[in-house]
Amino acid sequence: MDWLFPLFTTGQIGNNINLFLGLFIGFGFGFILEKAGFGTSKHIATVFYFRNLRVTQTMIAAIVTATTWVVIFSYFGWIDFSHVFIPITYVWPYLVGGIIFGAGMVMSGWCPGTSVVGVATGKIDAVVFVVGMLVGMFVYFQTYSYFQVFANSGNLGRFTIAKLVGGDMFTTSYLITIILAIGLGVFMNVMKSIIDKKGEVNE
Amino acid sequence: MEKGYWNPIFSGFILGTVLFIAYAIAGQGVGASGAFARVTAQLTYLVDPGFASNAYAGKYLRSGNALSNWIVVEIVGALIGGYVSAAMSGRIKQSTDRGVGYPVYKRLFWAFLGGVLIAFATRLSRGCTSGQALSGAGGFSVGAWIFMLSAFGAGMFLTPLFRKQWKGL
Repeated sequence: MDWLFPLFTTGQIGNNINLFLGLFIGFGFGFILEKAGFGTSKHIATVFYFRNLRVTQTMIAAIVTATTWVVIFSYFGWIDFSHVFIPITYVWPYLVGGIIFGAGMVMSGWCPGTSVVGVATGKIDAVVFVVGMLVGMFVYFQTYSYFQVFANSGNLGRFTIAKLVGGDMFTTSYLITIILAIGLGVFMNVMKSIIDKKGEVNE
Repeated sequence: MEKGYWNPIFSGFILGTVLFIAYAIAGQGVGASGAFARVTAQLTYLVDPGFASNAYAGKYLRSGNALSNWIVVEIVGALIGGYVSAAMSGRIKQSTDRGVGYPVYKRLFWAFLGGVLIAFATRLSRGCTSGQALSGAGGFSVGAWIFMLSAFGAGMFLTPLFRKQWKGL
């Protein structure tokens, strides 16, 4: 094979073609989110109450699927995964950012990706959420100098599961991802059945 | 049960495959919050050109236009894709989802405040449930799981405060 994935970051396609294809990838992303039921805040918020397994099941299946493709394509040498951008791990900002994010999710019923689909389907609460996001971004930009040190603390670089516990992408990373995914799925199912038994589904 | 939605496992399989296609073509996963950061930066820059030297957002404006970026194009695509899917399923409808009997103005207040908090949070966590949690975990990043579990934990912890807003849903 003469070509190798990823096409853009290995210089096999130019910026304009990449942007053009990005429109279609985005189309698929938005289409699937809507079809999966992410276009309404009730499906997002009720996850935290264990009334709804739809969103977590979709997320878990997506992570397992994507990692499976990564492992298969890497094994056959069809993709050079070192050319795929993965966010750098900043331990403390991710922990605190995650807490603020989770609070925002249970109060708003949206996250940035789902709100795009919410706007597309006419949800007023999604439009208001997006306006809130623009304000929040502005606040961060203007106050960044106060957070700059903290925001860049705990930098571990491109930190994969294999780097944390040893081994490689094909064995450790993949296996632990599957274990985490199954663990999360079992946890959600057990919690939902407890909630269902208590009969608090509609309260 | 809701009609017209895909089975979640099937949705996840297709979503994970599209995520992999994004890795394979663009060399990055799908995201969302970055697009909103760029829109905010561009709007601020139009009002105040001095904003180009902002300590955080300056990097977006180096090329002169914060919007000429893959993530922005991808989110425009997502907006169209979401619309097409909802239109095909007859789900386009102006509404505000909220718990039974919950006042609309209160619901919109929490939606707004949540938006503010989430935007702020995504800058700390370098992405959201899409760009950080999904796209990071798909690439075996430890940070993605730190973010995902801390967001999930915080959301669960705060459920008592918002029970009325989501009552009966």
